[in-house]
Amino acid sequence: MKILVPVKQIGVVDEDFELRGDGKDVDPDFLNFEANEWDDYSYEAALQIMEAADGVEVVPVTVGPDDAEDVLRRCLAKGGERGIRVWDDALEDASPAAIVQVLAKVVEKEQPDMVFTGTLSSDRSYAQTGVGLAAALGWPHAAVITGIEWKPGDPKATLLRELEGGLVEQLSVNCPVVLTIQLGINTPRYASLRGVKQAKEKPVEDLSLADLGLSGDDLAAAGGSFRVRRMYKPETGQAELIEGTPAEQAARLVEIINELKGAA
Amino acid sequence: MCIGVLKAPTTFLETTVIEAGQNPEQVTRILFQDFPAWMLVSFYVVAFCAIAVFLYGCYAQVRKYARGRSLSKDGLWSGIKRMIEALLTHRTLRRRDAEAGRNHALIFFGFVLLFIGTSTITLEYDILEPLTGLKFWYGSFYLWFSLILDIAGTGFVIGLLYMMYRRKWLALPKLDYRRPDRDPSDPDYARDWYRLEDWLFLWALVLLGVTGFLLEAARLVWLQNDPTVWDYRWWSPVGAIVAYGYKAVGLTSAGAGDLRIGLWWFHGLLALTFIAVIPYTKAKHIVTAMASLALRDAKPAAHLPDADLTAKKVGADSITDFTWKQLLNFDACTKCGRCHEACPANATGFPLSPRDLILTLRELSNATLEGISMPPQDRLAAIGDGVNQVRPETLWSCRTCAACVEICPVGIEHVPVIVEMRRALVDASEMEPSLQKALQNIHNKGNSLGENKRKRTAWTKKLDFEIKDARKEAVDVLWFVGDFASFDPRYQRVSQAFARILRHAGVDFGILYEAEMNAGNDVRRVGEEGLFQHLAESNIETLQECDFKRIVTTDPHSYNTIRNEYPDFEGVYEIEHASAMIQRMLANGQIALKKKLGSRVTYHDPCHLGRLNKGFDPPRESIRMLGADLVEMERSRDNSFCCGAGGGRIWIPDPTDKEKPSENRVREAARIDGLEVLVVNCPKCMNMFEDARKSTGNEDNFRVMELIELVEECMALGDEAGPDAGGAPAGASPGDASPAAQGA
Ligand code: SF4
Ligand code: SF4
Repeated sequence: MKILVPVKQIGVVDEDFELRGDGKDVDPDFLNFEANEWDDYSYEAALQIMEAADGVEVVPVTVGPDDAEDVLRRCLAKGGERGIRVWDDALEDASPAAIVQVLAKVVEKEQPDMVFTGTLSSDRSYAQTGVGLAAALGWPHAAVITGIEWKPGDPKATLLRELEGGLVEQLSVNCPVVLTIQLGINTPRYASLRGVKQAKEKPVEDLSLADLGLSGDDLAAAGGSFRVRRMYKPETGQAELIEGTPAEQAARLVEIINELKGAA
Repeated sequence: MCIGVLKAPTTFLETTVIEAGQNPEQVTRILFQDFPAWMLVSFYVVAFCAIAVFLYGCYAQVRKYARGRSLSKDGLWSGIKRMIEALLTHRTLRRRDAEAGRNHALIFFGFVLLFIGTSTITLEYDILEPLTGLKFWYGSFYLWFSLILDIAGTGFVIGLLYMMYRRKWLALPKLDYRRPDRDPSDPDYARDWYRLEDWLFLWALVLLGVTGFLLEAARLVWLQNDPTVWDYRWWSPVGAIVAYGYKAVGLTSAGAGDLRIGLWWFHGLLALTFIAVIPYTKAKHIVTAMASLALRDAKPAAHLPDADLTAKKVGADSITDFTWKQLLNFDACTKCGRCHEACPANATGFPLSPRDLILTLRELSNATLEGISMPPQDRLAAIGDGVNQVRPETLWSCRTCAACVEICPVGIEHVPVIVEMRRALVDASEMEPSLQKALQNIHNKGNSLGENKRKRTAWTKKLDFEIKDARKEAVDVLWFVGDFASFDPRYQRVSQAFARILRHAGVDFGILYEAEMNAGNDVRRVGEEGLFQHLAESNIETLQECDFKRIVTTDPHSYNTIRNEYPDFEGVYEIEHASAMIQRMLANGQIALKKKLGSRVTYHDPCHLGRLNKGFDPPRESIRMLGADLVEMERSRDNSFCCGAGGGRIWIPDPTDKEKPSENRVREAARIDGLEVLVVNCPKCMNMFEDARKSTGNEDNFRVMELIELVEECMALGDEAGPDAGGAPAGASPGDASPAAQGA
């Protein structure tokens, strides 16, 4: 009995940042790398199932460069005995469809009974990986899950989804299944630094595309439903806090109104 | 030889007090005279049984302690010396309850003397005389001893009567055993059996003392015709007075003889029972309190014990995870309630009383570790909701302010106990989400506020000069700024003021810029030992690369850990708190004041500077040098009341339905007539009190200001154009800032 949990290292943009030369992304110098928040919840959901039953294995997998291993270590600090990291330079800027290809191969290799992903990753917010993976595998899927009732061996899982207006939807789905997990489904545990250090002893299997029987061309062929043309920061309106005595404030206000009138 | 030496002084004294014609050897303590043999035999049987029960009890206690974690303790001799000093002066017992201390001294010294008296009789009668024929318990030695014991016994009884009065009529809140960490419906809420035990203990001792006198008097009346007894009656004055009382009500010599036998047995059996139960009852504090005092750590709260992160387990969630010393500590608590009274969490209705925490663990250890064999592991669990278990919310209520440790008369060290248990909670991820978030922020970004590293120095942008980057150039003074002083908008103004003061005083200083990380003081106190060690190691790595003479910080938390805990990680630095540096620079004129304050101010001691590091005076002296009228709050110096931010509680918002410790403190300040400024000396206190001033409606009554801000005000730096960015003001050389260069 195995649950595979794809997790992702995301880049968080600094307050002051610059764009990359090609204008299609943020210059990585201005990114801070962190674990995707949603994945904390999906991993926790898997760990809770593992802890409630015997013989369940939880395996975190990530597609990312060397330093993405931190994300796996943080997962392993909380539980689980091994992780998988897939990387190849060809995966730089990979589209969600390409990532799905890779993960589908990992599923083929690992033969898990369930796959839990986060609903989305906070850096790109595509929300495609989970559902795409289900499609690639031909598995059923359910998205934005806020409750799971399932134990190893059950042929069906009962799931909850929160809808607008405080409604809750209860679904039943055949297993194996890919679930994308929503924030708030549980309280993710804290990975203590001691845990993270000890997790360094746990094995992480590094796989290349070739190890999975894929090539850069396969990824290109997977393509994507879109491509990024450019990234930019829209002009934002200016706010100003007017300070001073009431008379000064009024004077400044008049000034602004005149400026705007002039501009209009 | 030995006999000669002992006899010589005795013989000398005989001539002074023993009447001519009487054989001094006959003037002695009447022990078993006229006892039938069966009585004597049964007495010895009972006595040996009592001693056996006592010894077994001692063995069981030692076995219990041995079931704790091992700990090697050095400095035992100095510890014993300190303990003896504490006992002789009763210093720890007199603090904040002088009356109880004095009366305890009467009981203690009375008990000790009576105990010595009784033991020497036993020594002579049962050991020395039968073995060597040596006798000293007669003549003037006996008489003097008799007098001293009478006085001791009187003090003993008076002290005990006071304690009874105190328990019954003073109704002290600290002696109320109802617990803040339990509901009235919980079985261990009121613990009436403690009260019962207290009273049994007091009554047993009072009866021992009183029957001792009655017995003495009965002996006098019984032997009133024996001049070697009656002539010396005033050597036992209390006995003599009672004897006259007996005679007045018509007691005859024969009647007194019978009374003597009855009282003798009552007194003897009571004493033996008392001895037998010492290891099993409150009475054991006689031994455990002394041991606990001798084993005290030099800095129990300022320097927390290291944890081995590679071990299978960190922290303590089972009673056997505590060290033998901690198990002994639990047994030493006398329920005096001083910690209970001092604790800011308890005072503001949080479910924590340091007394009850210790007592809970004591009950758990007594219930599980005193038996011949060990119970199953699950019964040893120390954290939980059950009876004899400490609840997680209790542990999270603590501010690690050390008010408890500081006042405990028997040297119990609560803070390390709490932190060890928190370590177990953190390892099991049982904590408030807000705390988890703060720890994650520190882990990811090096600061608890989750701010980008680069923003750490944003506060310096408002200065009209640039602060040196200590990573790039040598400085005299390295200023470790700390998280709150860097990011908290209110305190940023203080940091800016401190920078201006240093610059104006010609101090050659620099900061670590974005390489500085949270110092880890509170991270350690929260129980996240791994992260603490990581922070300490990272900061030390950065500091090792820099060239500086000493460190200064405005943050008492950073100060504490760098000063006391970094040395364990090979980070040994000379560090001082900003207030000490300011005091020095004010004293030697390096800070020139342009005006004086006339205002009425009070000063709040930050726990980490005051109680933990004894930095009570420099800030006060500085305030006085500024010309302010310093009025102390009711609780000050070592009895300062924590602002509530310590122990990581700055990251766990206090619930809004209770009074916050900071509000309690601000209200205390507000009771000072005409108060204008509450002076703080710590970024976290500032943050807490600024809020509390508003939430208690004191916004218009007084201001909360940093000592540094007051200094800047008096330097009138704002009133003139600042010196050019680039050069230090004339007349000051960078070397001036070093304490050595300043001489006085
Ligand atoms: S350290 Fe302070 S808050 Fe914690 S138990 Fe002791 S007195 Fe109470
Ligand atoms: S722990 Fe110390 S201060 Fe607190 S009740 Fe016990 S003996 Fe008194």
